[in-house]
Amino acid sequence: MEDMSLSVNGQSRVPPGFRFHPTEEELLHYYLRKKVAYEKIDLDVIRDVDLNKLEPWDIQEKCKIGSTPQNDWYFFSHKDKKYPTGTRTNRATAAGFWKATGRDKVIYTSFKRIGMRKTLVFYKGRAPHGQKSDWIMHEYRLDDHTDNSPQSNASSSVGESTQEEGWVVCRVFKKKNYHKTMDSPKNSSITSDGHTQMFHSTSDGALDQILQYMGRMCKQETEPNNNRNCYNNNFNTNTNYSNISRCLLRPIETNMGNGVYERSMQLPPLDSPTVQTLSGSSQSCYTPGDVPAMATGTEASVTDQSGGGHLNPVYPVEQGISDWATLDRLLASQFNGHGETSRQLASCFNDPNLNFCSTQDQDLPLLPYLRSRSFNPNQDYNSDNDLWNFGRSSSL
Amino acid sequence: MGEDRFNLPPGFRFHPTDEELVVHFLYSKVALLPCHPDIIPDVDLYRYDPWELNGKALSGDNQLYFFSHITQERISPNGYWKHLGVDDPITSASQTVGFKKFLVFYIGEAPVGIKTNWVMHEYHLLDGATTSRSSRRRGKPRIASNEWVLCRVHESNCGDDGIELSCLDEVFLSMDDLDEISLPN
Repeated sequence: MEDMSLSVNGQSRVPPGFRFHPTEEELLHYYLRKKVAYEKIDLDVIRDVDLNKLEPWDIQEKCKIGSTPQNDWYFFSHKDKKYPTGTRTNRATAAGFWKATGRDKVIYTSFKRIGMRKTLVFYKGRAPHGQKSDWIMHEYRLDDHTDNSPQSNASSSVGESTQEEGWVVCRVFKKKNYHKTMDSPKNSSITSDGHTQMFHSTSDGALDQILQYMGRMCKQETEPNNNRNCYNNNFNTNTNYSNISRCLLRPIETNMGNGVYERSMQLPPLDSPTVQTLSGSSQSCYTPGDVPAMATGTEASVTDQSGGGHLNPVYPVEQGISDWATLDRLLASQFNGHGETSRQLASCFNDPNLNFCSTQDQDLPLLPYLRSRSFNPNQDYNSDNDLWNFGRSSSL
Repeated sequence: MGEDRFNLPPGFRFHPTDEELVVHFLYSKVALLPCHPDIIPDVDLYRYDPWELNGKALSGDNQLYFFSHITQERISPNGYWKHLGVDDPITSASQTVGFKKFLVFYIGEAPVGIKTNWVMHEYHLLDGATTSRSSRRRGKPRIASNEWVLCRVHESNCGDDGIELSCLDEVFLSMDDLDEISLPN
């Protein structure tokens, strides 16, 4: 069959236990360099493939090496431009398309840059409605462009391949299900939980990068005018709201997904020094039952069980509120539970597109508002009126 | 070590599956059959700390392979291997042919040693799989000199070696999902 070059008289030339498992350096420095220089490669281990005509699930048959089981497959591909005038690459197949993810990674060999690696995911269907699959591709291209590095011995053929057109060497594999890593010689791990494994083994450096990235993302999107008016009783427009939701939701949703950052992203509990005095002293403080009543004014509240008819803004202390989340939830439930109030709000909160249906999400939009308030324990409630006016005015 | 003598092109390494390790290598060893390629050396694991194994064991793709005698006392000069209590069966042609034990190296004395990143998979043939019938017939104790295990030792880290997805890649992948949440603008 096709693996003839790897076998002699029907016998595989690859002894048991051996696999084609090249390093990135070998892929770039040995195989791809030879390819672009039209040099002969000893054994035909890496085939040429037309990526646009090959579905990922066909790659394993097309690119198998010998008869031993493989976890990843290698091929050369010639990149075409998507449009004659543009620089984008066409990576669509009959059944789907390859979509780049993350950032390209620089590949070094002993501190010298030799190329770049792009990570792509295969989506079934057509953009933008593709369905993500477990097929991952690492696409390596030669690129030794470094600032002022004297690399005179680099052949001109290497230079050509740095453009968007040209030969690349690719490795395709199926994303590991982290619950089943037993057969992976590389990553065999003891933990069964995917996330635990992934993050426990993460070096601090990687974590830092992630956090930095998230911070940057968040900063970009919160600046500058979204923040202002969105909390100033201006909940009418969806545009404002979606801006907030974007700046708030993105990093936090990611966190919920991964579970790990929840701790680091949690709001500080209210038992910070200033607040301790609040709960420790006999100053005014709201009780959970009172808050809804206070906010809704005269109307009975869904969550209200104790003080339905209170109009007096000053409340006796009974207990402190344990954390921001509690307070938050109260307010959120208030807005939602209150039929008339929330006609506008509900359209925001419950808009399926905004993904605001879970209680956790409902908590989010109010947080910055509350946090921006100084919780001075000595502050009279009357001076805090605007907080509650917010609820009232929207109910009017 | 290992790759050169077969005249294979760059990129070929010793990277066996669990099945190959048990069926091809360990079985041959225990059954005293000739093994091709005969590349996995015998090492008395418990004479060495894991970082001393390089050069003594067969290395392939950051993993160290060697045969060792079965023992219950997995103590080395500076520490001990702790069994994690999990055994995974190794199957071949949908039959269980062996199992592997997971162990982690601790520096110091049990049970208060300091955990390290050194991990060992210890491959065993299934009892009665031709293993040591001869020795048992002769009435020798179970721990006979010809009872071997195959050890694979490596230092685990989430190295971004391009073999798997890096941790960062995983995060980017999960963020792609968020992109797909369409927000009205």
